Amino acid sequence: MNNEQPRKARINIAFISQLIFLFLFLILFVTTEYRGKDEISIAINSFFRANPLVTASYLFAEKALTWLLLPGVLMIVFSAILGRFFCGWICPLGTIIDMATRKIRKKGPIRMLQGNVKYYLLLPLLFAALFNVNLAGILDPIAILVRALTFFLYPLLGYTVRSGWTGLYGLIGEKRDFIEPAYGFIRDYVLPFRETFYPLAFLSFGLFLFILFLERYESRNWCRNLCPLGALLGLLSKFSIFRRRPGKVCADCGQCADICPTSFDSEILKKEECILCMECEVKCRFHRVNFTLKRPKGAVAKEAPPVMERRVLLGGLASGFFLSRAFSFSSPSNQERLLRPPGAQNEAEFLKKCVRCGECMKVCLKSALYPDYHKAGLYGFFMPVLIPRLGYCEYNCNLCGQVCPTGAIPNQPLEKKKKNIIGAAAFDKNHCLPYAKKIDCIVCEEHCPIPEKAIRTEPVEMKNFEGKTVTVKQPYIVEDLCNGCGICEYVCPLEGKSAVEVYAKVKRKIKQ
Amino acid sequence: MKRRDFLKFALSSVVLGSLPARAFAKDPSIVALSEGTDYAAITRNVVAALGGFQKFVKPGDVVVIKPNIGWDRKPEFAACTHPVVVKTIAEECVKAGAKKVKVFDNTCNDPRRCYENSGIQTALKGLKNVEMKHVESERYKMTKLNGIFLKEWELYDEALSANVFINVPVAKHHNLTKLTLGLKNMMGIMGGNRGYLHRGMDDALSDVSSVVKSHLVIIDATRILLNHGPQGGSLKDVKVLNKIIASTDIVAADAYGTTFFNLSPQDISTTLTAYKRGLGEMNLNKIKIIKA
Repeated sequence: MNNEQPRKARINIAFISQLIFLFLFLILFVTTEYRGKDEISIAINSFFRANPLVTASYLFAEKALTWLLLPGVLMIVFSAILGRFFCGWICPLGTIIDMATRKIRKKGPIRMLQGNVKYYLLLPLLFAALFNVNLAGILDPIAILVRALTFFLYPLLGYTVRSGWTGLYGLIGEKRDFIEPAYGFIRDYVLPFRETFYPLAFLSFGLFLFILFLERYESRNWCRNLCPLGALLGLLSKFSIFRRRPGKVCADCGQCADICPTSFDSEILKKEECILCMECEVKCRFHRVNFTLKRPKGAVAKEAPPVMERRVLLGGLASGFFLSRAFSFSSPSNQERLLRPPGAQNEAEFLKKCVRCGECMKVCLKSALYPDYHKAGLYGFFMPVLIPRLGYCEYNCNLCGQVCPTGAIPNQPLEKKKKNIIGAAAFDKNHCLPYAKKIDCIVCEEHCPIPEKAIRTEPVEMKNFEGKTVTVKQPYIVEDLCNGCGICEYVCPLEGKSAVEVYAKVKRKIKQ
Repeated sequence: MKRRDFLKFALSSVVLGSLPARAFAKDPSIVALSEGTDYAAITRNVVAALGGFQKFVKPGDVVVIKPNIGWDRKPEFAACTHPVVVKTIAEECVKAGAKKVKVFDNTCNDPRRCYENSGIQTALKGLKNVEMKHVESERYKMTKLNGIFLKEWELYDEALSANVFINVPVAKHHNLTKLTLGLKNMMGIMGGNRGYLHRGMDDALSDVSSVVKSHLVIIDATRILLNHGPQGGSLKDVKVLNKIIASTDIVAADAYGTTFFNLSPQDISTTLTAYKRGLGEMNLNKIKIIKA
C-alpha cells in the first residue's frame, strides 16, 4: 500500500441517484393535482409511504400497521442492513442542502447542537405517538419540504407567471393569443390550476429556510444534529453490516475528514452519521476506501448509541408523555367549525394518522382545505381543515383520499365518499334574503349537488316591506341528505358573511 | 322609493312604447325543429332550415359557441349541452369558413371537471381552428348595460368581440326560474358575483340579452331535465326527447322550449319579461314552426 498513485476522481453514483430522486420528487409534486383524470395513480405520497419516521410514528400511535406503509417497513429493513443510504441517496431535502451548502461559508459547529439533541427530538415524538398524539409530521424532513413548496413556493410561482400573463393582456389585449401555445404548455403542465394562498405559508417556508441557514455552521447540519428521520435511520444503521473500510482516518492523508459531510468529527467514523454519500471513496487518491459487507480490520467505534443512555431514554419518555397531554386544550367555539376532509370521521383517529404533509391541500380541486393552526388546538397544527367560504368539497372528486399517504383520509370509492358527512349546513335567517329581505334567491339550492337536493324550498306567501303580497321561496335543509360539502356556503351571494354555514356534526371531543 | 318607482315606470313605458314596432315587423319569428336519434344530423337539419351555417358564419369570422358546461355531470344527466351537438356546430362553423371557433363557459363546479366530465372537451379534441379554453378572470370587461336591474356588469371579452355568437343551452328545470333555456344560458358569459342576479333574475337576463345578441340560438332537447335542475344527477329526472330547436329569436326559442315541459311561455317569468321588453316573440301562434 506504499507506492500508490493518485488517481482521478470518479463520478459519484450516489450523487446521480440524488439527482434522479430530486427530479422524481419534483415531478411527483407537480403531478399531485387534478389533470383531467379521476384517478391519480402516482403522487408525492410515495415519499411518505417509504418513510421510516412516518411508518414508526404511525405504528406507535395506531398500535397497528397499514399495507400503505409497507414500503416504509422495507425501508426500515434495508436501512438496518445498509445504513443511512436514504439520507445520502434519496432524501430530496438532503440533496437541496448539498446543492446549497457548497456556496455557504462555514463558521464551525454550534456547540449546543452537538450530542444528543436529535434524540431528544426523536424520542418525544415517538413516545408522544405512543400516547396517541402523532407529531412526527411537524419535523419530518419530507413533510417540511412538501409544505414549503405547497403553501409558499408553488403558489408564488403560479402567481408570478400568471400575473405576467395577465399583465400582458393589459398591454396588448387579445393579441396575447399569438403566444398562447407556449404559455398554455406551462399553464397545463407546470403551474397550479389556481393560486391558493395558505395560512402558515411563511412558517412553512421559514422552517425550510432555517434548515438552509444552519448550513452556515457545518455541512448537513440539520441532517447530523436535528433531523428526527435521520436520527431514526442512524439508530437503525447501528445494526448494519455494511461498513466503510478503513474505519478511521488514514494517518498519512487525512483528507476524508474534510471531504466527509457528516461523520468524521473524530478520528473514527461515526456509523450512525454516515449517509453513504460515497464522497470519500470517489475522492480517495489512493483507492483505499471502499464499502463492504466484510468484517472490518482495525478500529471501529464501539460506543453504545446515546439513545440507550438512561437519561435520554427516560427523558424522551417523560417529555413525550407531557407533550402528548400538555396542549390538549381546544376551545369549543373553534371546534364548531372544525371540518375535516371527507371520510375523516373520527377525530382521534385522524390525529393519530395524519402526517401533515399537505398533499390533500395541494390536490384539493376547489382549494377547500387549509392547514389548521387553531381549530383543533395545537395538535392539529398543519392538519387539513375545510373552510367552505373559500372552497367546497367537489361532489364527484375523491382525490384527497387517493393521495393521503397514511389513510388518515381514507381512499374510498366515489359513491361511498359522497355519503361521508363532513358537517351539516344551517341557515342564518337573519341574513338569508328570502327570510331577512323577503326576496327570492336560492343560489344555494341550485348548487346543492345531491340529486334529491339536500336544500329544498317552500313557497311562502307574505307581505313584503312595501306592503305588497309576494310569494318567496324559502330554503330549508334536509339534514338526512346533507353531507356538508359546503358548496352552499361557498356560493351564497351575500357579500360578507354567508347566510348558510356548515357546522361540525360530530362532537369532536377527543376520547382517550 | 317613490322616485325610483317613477323612474322604473318611465323606463318601462319607454321600452313598452317600442313594442308596436315589432308587431308590424314583416317577418314572423321562425323556430326550426328536428327530431331523431342522430344528434349530429338533427343539429345540422335545424340550422339548414334557417338557411344553413353559411348564412350566419362568413369566411374569416370568429365564432363563439356558448354551450352550457356549468356542471360536473356526464352527458346522460342532461345538466350540460350534449357533446355531439357542440361538436357538430363547431365543425359546421369551421366548414362555413370560420377563422376560429371558441367554446367556453363560466362554470359553477370546478371548470376542469366540467369541461372533462361533460364530454365536450373530449369531443372537440383535435378539431382544427376550434379552441376550448378555461375562462380567465382578467378578460371580464365591465360593460355598460343601462338595463333595468343591471346598470353595468362584467362580461367576457371573447363573447363581446366575436363576429358570431351562438347560444347553445340544454333545456332544464330550474327551481327559481322554473326552466333554464337560452336567456338563462347567457349567464355563462358573465363574471362577478352571479348569485346576486337571483335577486332580479328576470330583468337581469333581459338586460344582458339586450346588449349581447345571440345570432343563433340552438336549444339541445335531446334529453331534458325535468326536476332537481339545473344540475340533476339522477337519471330518474331525465327524459330523452331526441329533439333540437333553433331560432334567431331567443325569446321564440325559449317560448317553444317551454312546450317540452308541458308549460306555456307565460308560465316562465324570464321569457315573459324578455317578450315584454321587446327582445322577441313569445306567442306560439305567431311563431312559425318549421319541422326539419
